[in-house]
Amino acid sequence: MSQTEGRPAPVLDLRAIGKRYGATVALQDVSLTLHAGEICGLLGENGAGKSTLVKTLSGVVTPDSGEMLVGGTPYHPHTILDARAHGVATAFQELSLVPTLSVAVNLFLPRPGINRLGMIARRRIEREAEAILSAHGIDDIAPATLVGDLSLGVRQRLEIVRAMWRQPRILLLDEPTAALSDREWLFDQVAIAIGRGASILYISHKLDEIRRLCRRCVILRNGHKVLDAEVAAMSDDDIFSSMAGRSVVETFVSVPSVVRAGAPALRATALRGTGVDDVSFTLAQGEILGVAGLEGQGQSFLFKSLVGLNSLRSGQIEVLGTPVGLPSPRAARRAGVVLVPEERKTEGIFKDLTTSANISLPVIGQASRFGMLGRRAERRLVERVTPAVDLAARYLPLGIGSLSGGNQQKAVLARALITGARCLLLFDPTRGVDVGAKQSIYRMIQQFAASGGAVLFYSTELDELVHLCDRCLVVYRNRIAGEVPRERLSQELILSIASGRGSAPPGAGAPMELVS
Amino acid sequence: MASPSISAGFRRALSGGPTVVAVLLFVLMFGIYAERTSAATTVFGITNLLNDAIVLAIAAAGVTLVVLTGEFDLSGVGVIAITNCVVATISTAGSYGWLSSLAVVLAIGAGVGLINGLLVAGLGLQSLAVTIGTMICCEGAALLILSAPGGEVADAITNGLTGDLFNVVPVAAVILAGLCAVWLVFKRTRLGIAIFAIGADASAARLSGVNERRTRLAAFLIAGLCYAAAGYMLSAQTGTGDPRANDSLLLFMYASVAIGGTSLMGGRGGVVGSIVGAGILTVMQKMLFALGVAEFYTDVFNGVIMIVALLIGNVSAALAQQMRRRAA
Repeated sequence: MSQTEGRPAPVLDLRAIGKRYGATVALQDVSLTLHAGEICGLLGENGAGKSTLVKTLSGVVTPDSGEMLVGGTPYHPHTILDARAHGVATAFQELSLVPTLSVAVNLFLPRPGINRLGMIARRRIEREAEAILSAHGIDDIAPATLVGDLSLGVRQRLEIVRAMWRQPRILLLDEPTAALSDREWLFDQVAIAIGRGASILYISHKLDEIRRLCRRCVILRNGHKVLDAEVAAMSDDDIFSSMAGRSVVETFVSVPSVVRAGAPALRATALRGTGVDDVSFTLAQGEILGVAGLEGQGQSFLFKSLVGLNSLRSGQIEVLGTPVGLPSPRAARRAGVVLVPEERKTEGIFKDLTTSANISLPVIGQASRFGMLGRRAERRLVERVTPAVDLAARYLPLGIGSLSGGNQQKAVLARALITGARCLLLFDPTRGVDVGAKQSIYRMIQQFAASGGAVLFYSTELDELVHLCDRCLVVYRNRIAGEVPRERLSQELILSIASGRGSAPPGAGAPMELVS
Repeated sequence: MASPSISAGFRRALSGGPTVVAVLLFVLMFGIYAERTSAATTVFGITNLLNDAIVLAIAAAGVTLVVLTGEFDLSGVGVIAITNCVVATISTAGSYGWLSSLAVVLAIGAGVGLINGLLVAGLGLQSLAVTIGTMICCEGAALLILSAPGGEVADAITNGLTGDLFNVVPVAAVILAGLCAVWLVFKRTRLGIAIFAIGADASAARLSGVNERRTRLAAFLIAGLCYAAAGYMLSAQTGTGDPRANDSLLLFMYASVAIGGTSLMGGRGGVVGSIVGAGILTVMQKMLFALGVAEFYTDVFNGVIMIVALLIGNVSAALAQQMRRRAA
């Protein structure tokens, strides 16, 4: 095929790509083009084939059929390095940085600069890394730091920088804001790359990002391309329904305005410890208390502290009026406080066990007799909680590793519920989760609160906090910088406190109530 | 004034990681041994100690490389058996027998390492199972070469590798220092970095462009060479060949690696630690003997000390991470 009149040949041209894993079709007959200087959005629920497509383009997965052209010439990458040599670079959703190596070495893998002895020239590459980072607007990461010591958000920025600094012709960004709170930074970087003439395939669940960045978007569903159109021509509902194959009526179910101020479920007083500085708050029964903050402001430490996974030096925690002192994971669980952690892959699931076993784990004793697990008893226990999270029964006997991110997260939530928890600490539970699963999670949170449960809810997506929460605490530099009551919840107000300005933006009304 | 700085210094030393802990443990045990045995600190005593440790140390160095990639390699004892028998059979032929036997032995080690590497990295078989297979093959082959203890090792080897240079510096010390130096360079080469990266997170390393197969293959290959060198050293020590001499060596190799602070899951540790670990296991025997502990208690102490070393190493690693995070 020759180029269309008036329009130069696409930089990237995928023709009828197909890929199957055994009986599962990951991609079928997917065609896609990307032109110079274009940002094309790629949308789809988890399991729709987005990641397979990204991996195919990156040389990690070899397609079974179809052809790929880069700059008009055939492109058959077998490794990441092949892809890189053709000017294709990827920031992976699962973050491909090696935790035990330094920031600098990671930026230059697999061929960091060496000296005459063949040794890594540490000073030199750290200097170069510093220059690269600052060229990408990052000046708060020391190149000698081990990646494993950095927060998830910082790692995500690094992942993006690593894909960008070689100035690829084609940049693949797979859920680049999944763990990022400072999205403006990314948008700036995207604008710079485009200004240079790069083309970007932007994979995201977040419609507002797609609308902001892309003129055109492609939607995948079950491995097929179902839509390739101008973004402006489509309503949110059009896009959601093409993704889900059904209509999603509204993103947020409106919260019933029942009075929910119950007795205190969780009261933290003057907590101090690693990453937690003089934090006090009270969470009432039936309340959804939001926590907002830019990345690395202590929110992760705060959540872990409440279940004894981060050591506190001082402070007091009461659960349902009973002091638990400084909690241990066991004491927290006994008191009915359960954490749904940040890193699902490593902290949330046991990837080699079945979904059912993942859910029933905490109560396995109840399903056992004489030390033997009763399958039917287990199933009864599990099926008591799966409807609350909309997890279909057919997933239960499958290995949880084969489930989509959304279904995995539902299973993690089901496990929290199965213990009879009275207080859920949810740390970014909708990260990397598709639209349909998000709906289920919101519903579950609301039902849990309506039945008298207490929820502490951190999210990197401010609109979730605004729509779901009764109040929102904003953390800044390991402290609670402010509290926003329901009637004044807005993304602008939260952001202004979260970025340390500490006061309400112009026109937002009365000054903030600051928590001492 | 003194006490806080001592405790801070102690804390810093402890946070230096498991290798530092292993060194401290070694020094402590050597101190007890030396205090009881006057010959311990003479050149003769030290040469003796190093000679007792060096076979284990070199073999453990090889194991360390494979363990760092997150795999296992049990073939070491097989390679040591086979190379010991080869040296005892061919090294006395001609005046350059020591050299030709060294070449043959290294070729055998490389060959076994290559086979391990191809089966594990190339075909994706489980390393534990594969290397049990090659270990058994090698031990069988050793019996074919030498069906009973015997043979003879060239004097050039026995004298050259077990004595002292200028009557002061033990040859074993030179070899061990050389091994440490090579390691300190190697671990900062691209291959070295790749080995650590794969052990820490294989899929991240792959997505970062690290060639996983080639790296694993290289690790097995170099390990094979180390085992061959260890077998050569063993021949120098014993002056004879014995196809069944090293059955207990396998567990001690892994014990050295673990005591030296290398994670058996891969990604963390190093050869220096394993060499110190081998030193600890050797000096411990001598210390217990010097203290008059009956021989049949020795293994109990071996086990206990190993577990204690692991515990301290664990605390140390946690402390190190805490300090790094605080600094970051």
